[in-house]
Amino acid sequence: GDSWGLFTFLCAALCNLPALPALNCTEEPGAGHSIQKTYHLTRYLELQLRTLAGTYLNYLGPPFNEPDFNPPRLVRVERVPSATVDLDLWRGLTDNARLAANYRAYSRLLCYLRALDGQGTAELRHRLGHFCSSLQGLVLSIAGVMSSLGYPLPAGGSPAPPGTSPLAPNDFLKKMDDFWLLKELQTWLWRSAKDFNRLKKKVPPAVVTLRLEARGF
Amino acid sequence: PRLISPPADPAVISPQDPTLLIGSSLVATCTVSPDFHLRAEDLYWTLNGRRLPAASYAPLGPTTLSVVLAHLNGSKQQSGDNLVCHSRDGGILAGSCLYVGLPPEKPVNITCWSKNMKDLTCKWAPGTEGETFLHTNYTLKYKLRWYGRDNTCQEYHTAGPYSCHIPKDLALFTPYEIWVEASNRLGVAVSDVVMLDILDVVTTDPPSDVHVSRVGDLEDQLSVRWSSPPALKDFLFQAKYQIQYRVEDSSEWKVVDDVGNQTSCRLAGLRPGTVYFVQVRCNPFGIYGSKKAGIWSDWSNPTAASTPRSERAAGGCDPKGGEQNTTLRRELKQFFGWVKKHAYGCSNLGIKLYDQWRVWLQKSHKTRNQVGKEP
Repeated sequence: GDSWGLFTFLCAALCNLPALPALNCTEEPGAGHSIQKTYHLTRYLELQLRTLAGTYLNYLGPPFNEPDFNPPRLVRVERVPSATVDLDLWRGLTDNARLAANYRAYSRLLCYLRALDGQGTAELRHRLGHFCSSLQGLVLSIAGVMSSLGYPLPAGGSPAPPGTSPLAPNDFLKKMDDFWLLKELQTWLWRSAKDFNRLKKKVPPAVVTLRLEARGF
Repeated sequence: PRLISPPADPAVISPQDPTLLIGSSLVATCTVSPDFHLRAEDLYWTLNGRRLPAASYAPLGPTTLSVVLAHLNGSKQQSGDNLVCHSRDGGILAGSCLYVGLPPEKPVNITCWSKNMKDLTCKWAPGTEGETFLHTNYTLKYKLRWYGRDNTCQEYHTAGPYSCHIPKDLALFTPYEIWVEASNRLGVAVSDVVMLDILDVVTTDPPSDVHVSRVGDLEDQLSVRWSSPPALKDFLFQAKYQIQYRVEDSSEWKVVDDVGNQTSCRLAGLRPGTVYFVQVRCNPFGIYGSKKAGIWSDWSNPTAASTPRSERAAGGCDPKGGEQNTTLRRELKQFFGWVKKHAYGCSNLGIKLYDQWRVWLQKSHKTRNQVGKEP
């Protein structure tokens, strides 16, 4: 409200100048709007993941689909940076670092999920495909927020292609990897909801930019 | 530079991820890594989350425990049964996926059809039901009969789970050989070869613009009109049509078979004051001069229309009783007028004459309708 009044006054004042600079007033939808959208997208994906994980874990068979299943994390290679992080560290993250962590994580998670393609029943492959599309949307949404706030996208967003990274040496270990991939995805979506909630509060709802083009100056 | 060896797996199972026939038996062993300081007595096995009886265990050394699995059933899931070696506290040390099933049998019942001679879709049935324990891959292959190499169909599941679609580069006037290969971890099976000419299995879209309308006041007839499918105009063949119709609240369809290649038809013998659903389908007949019929298209979407309600209700209470009397009186008036003209003397007057008059009335009514109201 106030910003509009001020803006109109400025326009009027400047228009009365003898040498009139051309005014380009643009209002961007604002990072605040994109953040809100991204937040909703994480909640939506969280819901979709519940169905996908249920179907996939049933495909892997018991004990993977048992509610209390908690296998050891046989760390051969750290595939995705963990979502869990020290609380103070998390609070202290800059907006840039916060967004970058999300962007990197989902880019890599998307890659690993896509590698699951070709497995399982037609229904499972269909659900996986749909989820990957939505996840791609999330990655792009985060990129959009970063660019609207003027942050550069993290370099090397996508990891090395699956062929070069060490694959699970046997089918059972591959099932464990798949289990942990889904768990990681779930944890990241929970965390992202909090990340974007926090970002929402810090960025103003609308950003009005006034650009002055000097003509004949 | 220091070589950092990766952390050793807690245990190793043998055999790792085996493939087995239904009914076979298996002896598996779990050997714990020396770093873990566990002994054979500290271990137990589960299969798909269920603990296996200790009676089937046998230690084969200080750090190796074996288990016997007899008469295996088909795998519970296509990703393999989960055989897991645990330490006493329940922790997972290692696992092995068991793939238990049957080799595939020859796929059967291959049927194909071509939509407007532009593509080919085929479907088939698996040889046995037992093929669901293991993931079975189906590949549809085709080649021109007398020359050419084998081609592989790429677009699967277009018309159900066992189907494939070949979208282009198909030759006409020459036979194709088509077959399906089924393969899984236990083997391969190849179907019999089907030979066909694309022109023999052509189908089209259903007829478009199906309209059903009343025929004047005739209460037992409906007129059906449609257009031939647009793709047909490219081909040099005639079309045969078939109509099916049913009463609104019945599931029994009546088929009209002898429609020929007209694009309109009159349905007769219908019930008055009833809603009918009508569908039309098309068969491309005599493509490029052949005497053979093609494959019937799908039925068009049902079109509904109702026959006019009868003025003279068949029995029962007629609330329009009064109206009926005036109709009869009008008729009689007309009759006597007619008698004056045609009957000489009262001796010819009678029921027979009256009947003759009624017949004459029906005929003139019909011609009047045909001339005046035919679209």
